[in-house]
Amino acid sequence: MNKWKIGSAGITFLFIGLCLVLAGSVGLAQGASEGGVLLVAKDQEAVGFDPHKVPALSSIQIYQHLYNGLVDLDNNAEIVPELATSWETPDDTTYVFHLRKGVKFHNGREMTAEDVKYSFERILDPATASIAKSYYNKIQKIETPDKYTVKFILSEPYADFLTNLASVWGAIVAKEVVEKNGDLMKVDGGTGPFKLKEWVPDNYTLLEKNPDYFVKGQPRVDAIKHLVMKDESARVAAIRTGKVHITSLSPEMVPVLRRESGLVVISYPTLNYTYLAFNCRIKPFDDPRVRLAISYAIDRKLLADIVFKGEADLTGPISPAAKKWALPVSEYPSYTQNIAKAKALLAEAGYPNGFKTVIKTANSYNYMIDTAVAVQNQLKAVGISTEITLVEWGQYVDDWKKGNNEMMVGLNGSGTTPDRALHFFFHSTGTANVWGFKNSKYDELVERARVTLDDKKRHNLYAEAQRMLVNELAPNLFLASPYQFYVVTKNVHNFTPSAILGESVFKDVWLDK
Amino acid sequence: MGVYVARRLITLVPVMLGISMVVFLAINLVPGNAVQIMLGIDATPEMQATLEHQLGLDRPLYVRYVLWLGRLLRGDLGRSIVTGRPVLAEIASRFGVTLQLTVLAIVLSVLVAIPLGIISALRQDSVIDFVTRIGALAGISLPGFAIGVLLILVASRFFGWYPPVGFVNLWDKPLEAAQILALPVVSLGMGLAASTSRMTRAMILEVLRQDYVRTARSKGLHERVVIYRHALKNAVIPIMTIVGMQVGYLLGGTVVVEEVFSLPGLGRLILTAIFKRDYPVLMASVLVVALAFALVNLVVDILYAFVDPRIKY
Repeated sequence: MNKWKIGSAGITFLFIGLCLVLAGSVGLAQGASEGGVLLVAKDQEAVGFDPHKVPALSSIQIYQHLYNGLVDLDNNAEIVPELATSWETPDDTTYVFHLRKGVKFHNGREMTAEDVKYSFERILDPATASIAKSYYNKIQKIETPDKYTVKFILSEPYADFLTNLASVWGAIVAKEVVEKNGDLMKVDGGTGPFKLKEWVPDNYTLLEKNPDYFVKGQPRVDAIKHLVMKDESARVAAIRTGKVHITSLSPEMVPVLRRESGLVVISYPTLNYTYLAFNCRIKPFDDPRVRLAISYAIDRKLLADIVFKGEADLTGPISPAAKKWALPVSEYPSYTQNIAKAKALLAEAGYPNGFKTVIKTANSYNYMIDTAVAVQNQLKAVGISTEITLVEWGQYVDDWKKGNNEMMVGLNGSGTTPDRALHFFFHSTGTANVWGFKNSKYDELVERARVTLDDKKRHNLYAEAQRMLVNELAPNLFLASPYQFYVVTKNVHNFTPSAILGESVFKDVWLDK
Repeated sequence: MGVYVARRLITLVPVMLGISMVVFLAINLVPGNAVQIMLGIDATPEMQATLEHQLGLDRPLYVRYVLWLGRLLRGDLGRSIVTGRPVLAEIASRFGVTLQLTVLAIVLSVLVAIPLGIISALRQDSVIDFVTRIGALAGISLPGFAIGVLLILVASRFFGWYPPVGFVNLWDKPLEAAQILALPVVSLGMGLAASTSRMTRAMILEVLRQDYVRTARSKGLHERVVIYRHALKNAVIPIMTIVGMQVGYLLGGTVVVEEVFSLPGLGRLILTAIFKRDYPVLMASVLVVALAFALVNLVVDILYAFVDPRIKY
């Protein structure tokens, strides 16, 4: 045969082969049945599953299904029983928990009071370098009067102790699993609704149903497969063609997918907020009048509309999604843009013609860049001219930590406790107060609130702290609390994530086939 | 030949050492460190110090480099700072993915490019030549990931098709793997085919103008023999060079395509390691890529001697 013909036959054969592969898979896709496996496409790879060591959201979204805490939060951020069925507080610093009997770790052994003691001692051991240590460092002593009773003695009253116990970082773990493996990065030592079956790094994580889970009827799917798909167009294509059931979504894709009949877009407010922060150590930001002037110069509603297409709420230092602790934004006069007032404040502070400064933000997230640009435009009206510096994420974290900035745009999670939102971020000794912000009156207020156990009194203290932070001191400007989006296929039922519950609701999800 | 290969292999040692030093310094001198990125805003200074001490990040740079080198000489690539997994196992699993992608993309590109390049040269300025040249220009201009995203969109929107999610190896599940790899291989292969076909066309055109081709033709040899035995053989060396470079480039440079198609390859590992300042993973991966690049080029150089008897080492 003519060699040219052989060559062209080869090419034709290759293309036919490719077409057959594609066509074959169309057939497969149509006939495929996922059974009881919930397929979730994730944009980030987990780094490990040790609940006491890993703070990455991509990991939390997986290990939260493997573990339980003593207590949990319901959708209204109220404490509900989990591994503890009841508890009492004989005095302000003592908590006695009565454990659920017959709860089994995934290795089959019963969970007892000793495991609770071990778990918190592990968190508090400096060698663990646990991210959760600051949540529980008021624990002075843990006693186990019997197999199903645990007594925590605190060094001082701490109002958020129970809420912190409900954190996923307060997971109860099996000692022998930790000891055998050194840590829980690659293994599962929990009691949760799912067990870790397989982890193929950067590919997928397979969790299988725990048939012995102590809540009858949960979980409802046989397994969850978390697939790592970093590119959004790939995730969207996969859900459009039914290759996955659930994936998160960027605000840009929401209008497109809302129009598609086979898919359901789910949105909910979150505990996160975007902020504009000031380096309070340096001029002109050491003067609260300048910070407040900038607050008056910004139209937050317009900013939320531009950056998040309106899919965000205005927020103070506690996101409105945290419900009972958040003060309504109507309490904050500077949330109504007032250029005259802003100019007057600047003049009073000695900057009648404004000044030049730099806004630093990370180049990894579009919403941060868009926020910086929107702020830059709005500040022109009061004579403040800004230059935007975009930095890579690692450098951003470094600059944030070292206070190497003038103004900074970022995202914070206000958390489930007001102590985190107000003490952790803005007390002069707060771990995340990297802004050089100090105010003794404010410090005293949030210190008093954290040891006040009476809910009403505490509420008043936190309300005052929020007013002070926004209306007088303004170390950060709280801009918008963006919604989180998911898109799910129509055969997914009961997927009702929320700011408080997040993806922990997977244990209630069921699929029809 | 043996001496030549040995000499080339020996020169690799200082090259690798140099690369490792540059990468080590670069990743450790840029702002931000692995512990900060790992712990995020919740890290207290004490916690950060404890973890940095446990991971040995509190030691001077030169000590860390020497320790790393010492372990490397004993065949220990260390563990990832972020995940704690052994670096060797991490790279081994990723290298397989990238290798499958590379080999298939190269095979596809060569099978498409060489015949097209030859036809294009033989029918210079014909319709087929114009079409091939325009196609090649488009293939070179469009980056692989853009072709990839377009393929995903077209396949999912118009054909309701998307490859199975989650990677499997060709040797484990060939049919599923073929579906997973089809689009990325086409996206990479087309770009490569474009440059290879242009090179093939140019080389064949040049060779066809040589005296020995005219002699061959005047001897009355069949055109096929002229093309295959005389023209292609003489044109093949630059083509081999370019294909060799492409193999080396693909082994470390398929990052974006891996990202778009969710393939857990070496490129993605390198990218994540850079962002997380995971220097043991980064250094080992870069060395593997550099070594592969150098070895592929060595193999190409050796192959020259087989293709062209005039070349001797």
